[in-house]
Amino acid sequence: MTSIGLPHFLIVGAALFALGMVTVVTRRNAVGILMGVELILNAANVNFVAFNHYVEGPGKITGQVFSIFVIVLAAAEAAVGLAIVLAIYQTFRTIDVRETDLLRE
Amino acid sequence: MAEVPSKLRAFLVRLGVLAAGLAGIVGAALLNRFAHLGLAPTLLLEYAAVTCVIWGLNGFLFRTVPLSGATLLVFSAAAFGILFLIAYFVGGIVAPLLLDTAGRFIGFVRLADLVFYAFAVLTIAGAAGCAFSRNIIYSAWAMLFAFLGVAGLYVFLGADFPAVAQVLIYVGGILVLILFAIMLTRQIGGDPKLTNAHLGLPVGAALAAATIGMLAYMAVMAPWKTVPVRSYEPVSAALGTAFLTDFLLPFEVASVVLLAALVGSVIIARKEIKEDSDMVLE
Repeated sequence: MTSIGLPHFLIVGAALFALGMVTVVTRRNAVGILMGVELILNAANVNFVAFNHYVEGPGKITGQVFSIFVIVLAAAEAAVGLAIVLAIYQTFRTIDVRETDLLRE
Repeated sequence: MAEVPSKLRAFLVRLGVLAAGLAGIVGAALLNRFAHLGLAPTLLLEYAAVTCVIWGLNGFLFRTVPLSGATLLVFSAAAFGILFLIAYFVGGIVAPLLLDTAGRFIGFVRLADLVFYAFAVLTIAGAAGCAFSRNIIYSAWAMLFAFLGVAGLYVFLGADFPAVAQVLIYVGGILVLILFAIMLTRQIGGDPKLTNAHLGLPVGAALAAATIGMLAYMAVMAPWKTVPVRSYEPVSAALGTAFLTDFLLPFEVASVVLLAALVGSVIIARKEIKEDSDMVLE
């Protein structure tokens, strides 16, 4: 029995979530905001796998299945989000999120 | 020793005192193991050692600070007080996590713990670099370390397939995609030093401090119903079985979502090229 327990992983997940939220809140660059979203999804994944290891009974892997789904949706989100960023750049010639406040040219 | 120049001799003296101070700190830590001696000898030895270290360092680093005589003693006392407060608070927070229920001290040097702390530091340092770097390329590279650290944490939790998927999809896919998006879009303001500027960083830092404080408090204080730690065994086969039995519908829906994301991102990103070229697609 090691001294590393569930709270350690939850604290790592909390730190990842907080740093990702800072990235989302303070960035001006749209790509930077998407990077913050990826950090937040990673934080949720750490919590899923940690709860799966420490709380779920033996032989159950629901938390890991959920983490795989989160990774899949993160990939889809990154593809669509970065495509939208490229479209915004082609329209406005900038990806500063303070400048892009119109839905059309 | 008479022919040794005085500067060299002073250098050697300072080096010796510095080494003695460092040895004194280690010795004080060892002295603390003999609990029947009480705390006073440890504190005295620590103070003397910190004084020696500061006096030794004074000759090498802080040449602009004139420390001698009583000033040195006062300065080292202040430094020792600050160090003691830091150690006290860190010990007060960390010690409940290190002591088991019987009050026995669980050693620092447990290999699995060291591996966990290495991955945790890698993850958090990477995320902090991503959050606070001024250059967005550096942010992307810092995210690489965060992703690798999270993959290591998955391995630590007995989740081998999610760890491999993390490396393949995040590091091999999403990070490359992000780097492409960075290089296809012009930097904000044209100043390469400020490609990743912040808005209201103090507010963001306060938000982060509040969030992490609340979440960490909850994580430590909540009475989690944990089961005994499971043995490490491969989970890939069980994951495949779960995907094709209990989670078949979500699995198929995820496939459709991926296909829709693929088609949709291609259509969104190619819009301008279609308008610029002479070939107008119906």
